Amino acid sequence: MNVNKVRNMILDHIIEILLILVIIIMSLISSNFLTVGNIMNILRNQALKGVIAFGMTMVIVAAQIDLSVGSQVALAGVIVARFCRDLPGLTGMSVTSACLAGIAAAIVAAIIMGVVHAYAQHKFNMPAFIVTLASLNVMYGLAGMISEGFPIANQFPGWFLQIGIGRIGVIPVPALILIAVFLITHFIMTYTTTGRSIYAVGGNVESARLSGINVFRSKVIVFVAVQLMCVLASFMHSAQVASGSYSFGRGWEVDVISSVVIGGTSMAGGIGKPWGTLMGVLFMGVVINAMTILNVDIYAQYVVRGAIMAFAVLMAMMQSKAKA
Amino acid sequence: MCEQAQDYYHNNQNEFHHIFPENLFYIECFSGAVLPTSGSIYLNDEKLRFNSTAEANAKGFATVYQEMSLIPSLSVVENIFLGRMPRKGRIIDWKRANEEAEALLSKMGVKINPREIVSRLSMWQCQVVEITKAMSYNPKVLMLDEPTSSLASNEVERLFNVIRELKKQDIIILYISHKLHEIPQITDTITVLRDGICVGRVNTKDVSHADILKMMFGETKQRHRPEDVLPLDKIVLEVKNLSRRNKFNNVSFKLKKGEILGIAGMLGAGRTELLKSIFGADLYDSGEIYVNGKKASRRVSPISMKKLGLGLTPENRKEEGLILIHSVLDNLCYASIDKTSNGWLENKQKRKAAADKQILELDIKITDINASVNSLSGGNQQKVVVGNWLNNQPEIMLYDEPTRGIDVNAKQQIFEIMWEQAKRGISIIFVSSELEELLEVCHRILIMKEGRLIGEVRPEDVNTQQLYALSMGDEIA
Repeated sequence: MNVNKVRNMILDHIIEILLILVIIIMSLISSNFLTVGNIMNILRNQALKGVIAFGMTMVIVAAQIDLSVGSQVALAGVIVARFCRDLPGLTGMSVTSACLAGIAAAIVAAIIMGVVHAYAQHKFNMPAFIVTLASLNVMYGLAGMISEGFPIANQFPGWFLQIGIGRIGVIPVPALILIAVFLITHFIMTYTTTGRSIYAVGGNVESARLSGINVFRSKVIVFVAVQLMCVLASFMHSAQVASGSYSFGRGWEVDVISSVVIGGTSMAGGIGKPWGTLMGVLFMGVVINAMTILNVDIYAQYVVRGAIMAFAVLMAMMQSKAKA
Repeated sequence: MCEQAQDYYHNNQNEFHHIFPENLFYIECFSGAVLPTSGSIYLNDEKLRFNSTAEANAKGFATVYQEMSLIPSLSVVENIFLGRMPRKGRIIDWKRANEEAEALLSKMGVKINPREIVSRLSMWQCQVVEITKAMSYNPKVLMLDEPTSSLASNEVERLFNVIRELKKQDIIILYISHKLHEIPQITDTITVLRDGICVGRVNTKDVSHADILKMMFGETKQRHRPEDVLPLDKIVLEVKNLSRRNKFNNVSFKLKKGEILGIAGMLGAGRTELLKSIFGADLYDSGEIYVNGKKASRRVSPISMKKLGLGLTPENRKEEGLILIHSVLDNLCYASIDKTSNGWLENKQKRKAAADKQILELDIKITDINASVNSLSGGNQQKVVVGNWLNNQPEIMLYDEPTRGIDVNAKQQIFEIMWEQAKRGISIIFVSSELEELLEVCHRILIMKEGRLIGEVRPEDVNTQQLYALSMGDEIA
């Protein structure tokens, strides 16, 4: 009985344990690892995909998936960049106003995409996998059209760049945004009826429906949330490189979903926590950082990342088996 | 169950046998899916023992289960020879497969193209393919478990023709069915099982409907609800001419405050569909629903019906009633999600209190309120489904087969819960296939057949046999 409890404890917190282990080992190997500079570096690097991972956690808990996240990252960036470049010339407004208008347009576009995903999935019973795969292409194409096939560089006002490169004290702004988004999703998923409904919809959609839970509303919320978080990630990314490009965010969905799964969220839906995702994001960040410090070949890094993901899923399977 | 049904079958070849009523466990013993704890099966004086379905097949026993086991996206021939397609070397021999399938099908006296995709066939054709698949094992004994349960009446006749064709081919057929009127048409002898015990074996031509009913139900003592559970005069729910195409037709009734209204009927009579439409889970085509005198909009949903004070415990608790991977606590608070919170914020104390209340009042046996509901027994799971709704303080509860698959004690507890609710003024619609339960629990019973209400009785006026006969559409003898 006690052995079982300990085993379940270990299985439940496997990712935290592994994270601490890697940190201990790395700080023994390299004196550069456990420095404020390096920790902030890890947080800043992980912030972009990490922010999206929290939205993806909500989506996957609701037993859905959004593969289009990378394209939304590209789209939001080029919308703002194009507004900043062309709107002052056309209307005579200031760059700041143009940028704000671009931000508003990007947010509206993201909300529309999220609602479209939820509507197509719910009303026509299309698999979210296919719906979002389709919009991955659509948004990539739109981003290319808006940017006319080239990066739109050096158009943003200075304050916008701060979203990506600014610091408050020693802490980079993206790291603060990452923590803020974590706290918000944690709050929604743990303390609100909305979060409870999302878990119910993912756990058993028919039971949820017959309990009088608004299934469509839950789906709209998760699909819109993840798209909005892509917009946020896109702003950070565009600000960091002072440009918007249709090529941003390409392939990010892989890393985003990896972090969510490593954090213990079940692809079958109904189970998963933002805390787990935070751990997943940090774990991936620490491992990538460690491999860079240790000069591991870039392609070998991909092998390790893939192996970690497979290992995480294996752990999750053992976990549910141990509890059954 | 089965150990008591020790009788062996010394059927003559070409005898057509009928087990009644359905006893799935029995079938599983024969088909080798479950081992009998004692007793033996003899065929042509040879004692047989099967450890698996494959072994049963090899010894000449083939079974067609009630649930369709065909793969809809594959062709007829692929389904018939599933897992054992004829081959030429390592490659499937399509020509031979099609020829063999064609030969089997024509032996059954039907014309079905073996290349046709199963999902394009009608229900009776699927059933025929299912039987053909069983026949491809060249069985000496063929067991059919409720083969007509999903067929329309004209399809039943066509299926019977196929069965009569098989009868000519020296095959013993065990035909298991709830449907009394089918039996004289195709059987030679009848065996009646009740609670796992063989209560009689008769020749079909010697007995009448009434005789069989008597064997099925025996002289059961009728228990009744407590005297003080009485309905008030106020009408809380009125259903007017409600219709849904192919499901139910022109259904009208009224439900009083504090009344327990039963709906009797055979499987597929449209009772589940009716409850779902009233609850807004499925749309209906025409008709009106009034809750407390107010007309409910045509575009209803469980969300809006919940607001009007309705609750539904679905027929299938695992698939539709519960979220198995979530905790007992969570499952007790889903329907009441808006009542166990402060607006959009959850309230832990309220949730815990609501769950504890139901666990206490419904006597739900749990080890840990945070353990997954999957770990509970069937009866306790059912109580969680009920408690989930009671936490929402409904005025009208719709119970769809709440006693299915739970033990006798738990059943009695569910009935007591209903009486208790009725006393508090909750109105109840109770659907059950176990007709004696309806007689025990209800104030009034509506009888539904093929989507229509065909009668109404008071439990005081009829016994189980009579109610059964009425549900089949017979007159009371």
